[in-house]
Amino acid sequence: MALDLSMPILVVDDYQTMVRIIRNLLKQLGFEEVDDASDGTAALARMKGRKYGLVISDWNMEPMTGYELLRHVRADESLRTTPFIMVTAESKTENVIAAKKAGVNNYIVKPFNAATLKSKIEAVCGS
Amino acid sequence: MAQAQRPSSANIRDFESATVVSELIQIAEYITHMRDEIAALRANEMTRDRIPMAHEELGSVLAATAGATNRIMAAAESILSLPDGAEHRPVLEEHIGTIFEACAFQDITGQRISKVVDALQSFEQRLDRFIGAVRARDAAISDPVERARRERASELMLNGPQAEEIATTQDDIDALFA
Repeated sequence: MALDLSMPILVVDDYQTMVRIIRNLLKQLGFEEVDDASDGTAALARMKGRKYGLVISDWNMEPMTGYELLRHVRADESLRTTPFIMVTAESKTENVIAAKKAGVNNYIVKPFNAATLKSKIEAVCGS
Repeated sequence: MAQAQRPSSANIRDFESATVVSELIQIAEYITHMRDEIAALRANEMTRDRIPMAHEELGSVLAATAGATNRIMAAAESILSLPDGAEHRPVLEEHIGTIFEACAFQDITGQRISKVVDALQSFEQRLDRFIGAVRARDAAISDPVERARRERASELMLNGPQAEEIATTQDDIDALFA
C-alpha cells in the first residue's frame, strides 16, 4: 500500500523512551515529520496548531489520558477525521472495545515490533 | 420458703463482681495477645528499614534500566546513521560493544529486585499472621484522595499491563478490527 511519507505524525506518550522508539521506527519506515506530546492536553494543543495525518497515542498518561484525547478528537469538528492509533500496555478487552466505540482506527499492544506498527499504519493510512 | 430461694442483694453483687472481673481478665489477656501480635508485626522495622530499602532498590532499578535503554538506543541510532562502507566497521563494532556492556544492567537489577521480592514476602507473612490474630476486616476506603484515584482509574479503565496469560493478544485485537 502507498503511504504518504510526508504526512506529519503526532506521537503522544509520557515515557520519553517510548517516544524515541516510535520516532526511530517511523524514521525507518520513511516518515520524517514526527512531533511528540507528553499527554492528551499537550497533544490537543499541538493538534490545534497543525494538521496531522496520524496520531499515535499511549493510553495511560496524566493529566489527560489517551482515551480522553481520543474522545476529545472525535468530538471536535475540525479534528474528528484524524486517523488515530492507540499504542498501549492496556491489554484488557474492555479497553480495546471502549477505544473502538470511541472511534479509534487501530490498536497496538505493547511491546510491539516494527512490522506490527507498519501494518497498522498501512491499514489506517494506506490508500 | 420463698424468701430463702430469693438471692440476696449481697449475692447478686458478688455474682456481678465476679462476672466483671472475669471479663476484665479476658480483655487484659486479649490486649496482651494483641500487643504480642503487634510486636511480631515489627512495624517499626518495616517503616524504618525495609520499606525505605525497597524504595531505594526500585529507584536504582528504574535509573539503571533508563540508563541502559538510553545507551542502547544511542548506540543503535549511531549505527543507523553510519554511512555504507567497510571502513566504518571499527566504529560499528565499538557501538555494538556499547550495547553488550549496557545489557549488563540486567544482572544487577535482577539482584536488586530479588531483595525487594524477599522484603515483600516477609511483609506478606507478617500481615497474614496479624490479620488472622485480630480477625481484621477491610473497612471502606476513607481517604478521599485514594477514593478519587480509584474512581478515576475505574472510569478511564487504567488497568495497566495484564499478566501474559490473561492479556488480550494482538491477534485477538486484530480480529476485532477486521
